[in-house]
Amino acid sequence: MGLVSAAPSPVEVERPESEEVVLPDLPWITIVWNDPVNLMSYVAYVFQSYFGYRRSKAEKLMMQVHQEGKAVVSNGSREEMERDVQAMHGYGLWATLQKADT
Amino acid sequence: MSAFRRARKGGARASFPPLEASLLRNLSRQLIELLRDDGRRGQETGDSLESLFDFDEPVATPEDPVLARLLPAAYEDDEKAAEFRRFTEHGLRDSKVVQATTVIESLERGGLAEGELPLPPDSSGIEDTQLEDAADVEVDLDADDVQAWLRCLTDLRLALAERLEITEEDQSAFDQVDEDDPKAGMYAVYGWLGYLQETLVDAIR
Repeated sequence: MGLVSAAPSPVEVERPESEEVVLPDLPWITIVWNDPVNLMSYVAYVFQSYFGYRRSKAEKLMMQVHQEGKAVVSNGSREEMERDVQAMHGYGLWATLQKADT
Repeated sequence: MSAFRRARKGGARASFPPLEASLLRNLSRQLIELLRDDGRRGQETGDSLESLFDFDEPVATPEDPVLARLLPAAYEDDEKAAEFRRFTEHGLRDSKVVQATTVIESLERGGLAEGELPLPPDSSGIEDTQLEDAADVEVDLDADDVQAWLRCLTDLRLALAERLEITEEDQSAFDQVDEDDPKAGMYAVYGWLGYLQETLVDAIR
């Protein structure tokens, strides 16, 4: 994700915890992939506003995307995940869905 | 540099010098043209049922790298991605066009004169006294407009990044661009759009 040098938006970085942010206990998952363009603050905002996640969770997911290259941001039925992926594309994020076990 | 600030009810405001406003409108227009350029086949009939089963519906990832990034594949599996694209790509294109149109309308509502304004090709090109004397464009966004702007600014940055072949998050590459490099102006615009978007996110959080 991109950082704007003119207006850095420092993110409170928590130490990564061993617990998973999202437990993929449902058959399909939505993955958001890192890209060099989208702003960290914007990505966290999207997770917060679209999924209704708490700010801390949204920022943890955003940092996971940023540092690990991708993060599972939601899980559910295939139809639900297609909806989420469509929404992420609408926000300009790079997202895919797949079966949880692949 | 123009920046957004918080306004009532989830809205945001910003003042743009006319040249900046004009530049933003031009970029938005280019984005609309790009999105409309292809993928419009079979849409003239207006028959949604017909277009639903039209075999001209998009199935492959667009060849233009900018469109490929704006309209990415939803599945790593090509067959599944094609099926998904067939049912969703037109809608995604349309929503991006609507968002860019909203940006243009916000600028014109804020006082940007309709029609074409000359773009400054470089710093020495700003000689249009009419533009220099024109009042700032006062952009006043409600919560819905903010969503359109956030997404359109994202699309514009994605498009520019693709054209500039930006693959690193590290912006130090920008600093190494020679002033005479024809891409220097685009880099500057890319940085400006990012700053603008950052201030817009800050204004509503």
